[in-house]
Amino acid sequence: MSRRPPRGEYIETDTGNKVARKATLVGTQNIMLGGKTVIMPEAMIRGDLVRTLQPSPSSSGAAPNNTAVAIGRYCFLSRGCCLRPPGRLYKGLFTYMPLRLGDHVFVGPGSVVQAATVGNYVHIGAKVAIGEFAIIKDYVRILDDTVVPPNMVIPSFSIVAGQPARVIGEVPEGGHEAFELRELYKTVGNNPQPAPV
Amino acid sequence: MWTRGVRINHPSIAASVLEENAAAVMAPPFTPYTFIQCPCSDSSTFNRRSPPSTPTTHHHHSDNDDNDDDDDDEHPFDPRAPRSNYSLYPLEYLLYCEDCHQIRCPRCVAEEIVTYYCPSCLFEVPSSNLKSEGNRCTRSCFQCPVCIGPLSVTSLESHPDPNTLPVPDNPSAAPHGGPYILICSHCAWSSTEVGIQFDKPNSIHAQLAKLRNGGNPRMTAKERKERRKDLAQSLGSSYSSSSASGYTGYFADELDLDLDLETQFSNLKLFYQSQLANANTGGVGSGSSASGSGAGGAFGDLGFTSPTSLSRILNIYTSASSQDKKAKSRIGTMREALDSDEGLKIANLDESEAIAKLHAEGHPGTVSTSQLLNQTPQLHLGEPHLHGRSRFASELRPIPYLLRTKRSKRCPICRHIISKPEAKVLTTRFRIRLVAGSYIPSITIRPLSLPNASTPDPSALRPSKPAQFVLTFKNPIFEPVKITLATPALTPGRFPSKVTVLCPQFDIDANTDVWDEVLKDGDKRRKKGESMDSASGAGGVGGGQHQHQPAAGKIWERGRNWVSIVVEVVPASLRKPSQDEMPVLKEDEDLLEIPMFVRIEWETDAMGDEVGAVSGKDRDLPKLKRELAYWCVLGLGRVSDQG
Amino acid sequence: MAAPSSSKRHSILPPAQAGPKPPVQFSSSITIADSAILIGTHPITISTESVIHPRAQLNSLGGRITIGRRCIVHERSTVGAVGTEGGRGAGGTAEQSGVTLGDYVTVEVGASIETGDTVVGEGTNIGVGSKIGGGAVVGKHCTLTPYTVVAAGDVIPDYTVIYSNGLRRQDRRGVAELRNKGQARQIEVLKRMIPSSPAKFQ
Repeated sequence: MSRRPPRGEYIETDTGNKVARKATLVGTQNIMLGGKTVIMPEAMIRGDLVRTLQPSPSSSGAAPNNTAVAIGRYCFLSRGCCLRPPGRLYKGLFTYMPLRLGDHVFVGPGSVVQAATVGNYVHIGAKVAIGEFAIIKDYVRILDDTVVPPNMVIPSFSIVAGQPARVIGEVPEGGHEAFELRELYKTVGNNPQPAPV
Repeated sequence: MWTRGVRINHPSIAASVLEENAAAVMAPPFTPYTFIQCPCSDSSTFNRRSPPSTPTTHHHHSDNDDNDDDDDDEHPFDPRAPRSNYSLYPLEYLLYCEDCHQIRCPRCVAEEIVTYYCPSCLFEVPSSNLKSEGNRCTRSCFQCPVCIGPLSVTSLESHPDPNTLPVPDNPSAAPHGGPYILICSHCAWSSTEVGIQFDKPNSIHAQLAKLRNGGNPRMTAKERKERRKDLAQSLGSSYSSSSASGYTGYFADELDLDLDLETQFSNLKLFYQSQLANANTGGVGSGSSASGSGAGGAFGDLGFTSPTSLSRILNIYTSASSQDKKAKSRIGTMREALDSDEGLKIANLDESEAIAKLHAEGHPGTVSTSQLLNQTPQLHLGEPHLHGRSRFASELRPIPYLLRTKRSKRCPICRHIISKPEAKVLTTRFRIRLVAGSYIPSITIRPLSLPNASTPDPSALRPSKPAQFVLTFKNPIFEPVKITLATPALTPGRFPSKVTVLCPQFDIDANTDVWDEVLKDGDKRRKKGESMDSASGAGGVGGGQHQHQPAAGKIWERGRNWVSIVVEVVPASLRKPSQDEMPVLKEDEDLLEIPMFVRIEWETDAMGDEVGAVSGKDRDLPKLKRELAYWCVLGLGRVSDQG
Repeated sequence: MAAPSSSKRHSILPPAQAGPKPPVQFSSSITIADSAILIGTHPITISTESVIHPRAQLNSLGGRITIGRRCIVHERSTVGAVGTEGGRGAGGTAEQSGVTLGDYVTVEVGASIETGDTVVGEGTNIGVGSKIGGGAVVGKHCTLTPYTVVAAGDVIPDYTVIYSNGLRRQDRRGVAELRNKGQARQIEVLKRMIPSSPAKFQ
């Protein structure tokens, strides 16, 4: 791993991830970053909470997949957010399950995500709590201060708010491009670029 | 999302459910916005392909109330008019018809449902099922009747932690045997609270349909229908006189239960039909003399108890085959229903039980209006009458998820499809998606702060203090466009603010290819390095490096496919000069909104009718002039009340 | 494409120990992460099999912190936060109680329990980002959904569920036992996952 500028605020990896030095990543060996992902200072990822029960013992020929948190490309984890794998009892034993984030997922400041899967192009506002094993599909906007209850499924193109969360609107056809995080990615890091007009 | 609360509640978009707990949030800091008016709101321009004539710049009407007048294009658009709430949309919500060359909004497009699906299990529901099964998920997807959170199916005997329960329809996740219950993962409501549990973890909907609250069985609509048929068959021939005892035994078990609405109706209908049949075959029914005279005394003139009016009423309320038309002339009376088998329901006026329950459970035991509204009417099928009683939390039933749809949209004028999603539930692709953002320029607003400006917070507008805003127009099409802007010199309303567009006419370069952007961008960046950097400062707050001052007729900044101009406003004082007192502000009267007329002109190849098509290389074709014009509203901020 | 962000560094944990080191009383069976933060002057007691996640903060500046058996204190939560109103701040006597957590209490991510004789009863779950004011008494087997706020000095009866921005209802599921069992299972797993370093704080 090359750390190009010796003391930048961010560690920039070969695949273009920008990880703040002040981010708290626990169990980094179990955190997979797809590339071009920004992790802001004080964000926290619990990679140490790995799955203890492997899915099917029959296919254990390969090395067990210990990924606890998988993050796609162009994700943006704001200051103070927390990603942690959801856990539950399964056949009388407790196990954590992996948390998967798709591409272009924005996690707002102070939000806690314990979902099972978050799709592509998802915007999670500030101070949102996403309960364990929630499933969030693509193109979903979760407004600030929303509490998504455990096990909730949020279909694509939903705008969600409230405690507990409910669908309050639909993402309009012209609103798809607003989820794109490529430009935001460029504005952060050791050599931030100005935001385009 | 919209900033102004009014527009969040717009009926066609915000799917109706901003409830008390979701809405009770503090007002967020103001973000400037641009709303665009759909031409559909103005009947004079709706059918017209050419845009309305541009109003004169700096043209002000003291009387704004008559701008509903369709003939007069000279009136500036008033964003405060009540009707404006229904025609203004953020750019993302607008579509564009390529054939009419006009903006289309969610209110004017014609929608067609492509797919129905359950928002929880994401299974598609064939439209044929909708007629028979209704518009709700008939699998195992339910919402909590208390808090609207999702319900999970879980085994009652040994479920470990309700917060980490298996999702429904996952048999492997529920290894324990029944009975099963529904549990809310948010508010911890459990179906045991209303006395309901299930034998199987799947097809909860079907199981629930057969259970009353408390666990007693209830008839489904289908069973009721079948029973009615059986009843009609068994009685049809043998039913002669109205001796009710003939079939009391048939219903013996039913009598124990409260007579529910559906059963009552079917009993009543059956009774009247048999009465009619009797009247038709054997003259006046044998029982008519008993009760008919009494009823006839009260309603004699209306003849409610005569077979004629009865058959008419039956024909109105049921689709049953019409009775003998010859009976019309027949005059006579019949007796009324005498017991519950004939559809008689004696009103229960004894509410002591409900009062006792209210005493015992108090306010928490009753349901709120929103909880009651969330209950589905179908769920009350077979339930005792709810009319005139308090509703208790113990009467709530799980709410099956309302199905959601994928919809295609047509232009209301030419009927061309302008948006069409893929039919499959899990794909997010669109076959057709003609969004206005690909045709008309986007307008972004940020406050302009100059190095010498001492305003600490540029977003706060102070009365009589000039404030400047940078409007950035970004051209999405592959042709250069010419933009002409017009605003009234004073904003409409009781507190007119002065508005000056420093550069009302300018050209924007074409939206060139992405790779051109990459190649050219570097040069441009280097050339205009300083101003670009300052432009990037959050909301322009940090823009302290501008060397130039805003000047009339000059463009503020220019980029590959965008142009920034400056608008100066002098916010109105919220006090009347004659009064010392602050007048009582109406809702949003402190909001500074500028109506702006935008006219876009460009040239396109005559062949390629589509606006968005890349300009052809064939230079021989004559260029076709196009123009589009519309009103928009710039929301700049709120005027502070001091000063 | 998928590459661990940094193969050399096992965790990026900036040091964040500040303030005085409090006297502690740990049961030998507890699990406390190396990066947990214990500050204050009053004693901190953690009983059998409780788990303190990384970056959880126990602050005894305002009084003694007592954590019951089989509690789980998640990351970024604060037990004994110096409150805005009910809190006493530094300088109480050794006998003063700051926060007492009963057995089987779960304090979720980012929740904060202010100091000042605050009590949380057995089996109660304090949801993500919730805030309990100083001196509040939360009963047994309560469920506080995320971002619940309990005012200072408030008394919450047993089996209360606080949901939807402050609405309250009774938990009639009767799952207290099962919840406790589930908690025990979870602790078994966490014990293996979180390297415990009680010595650091003793």
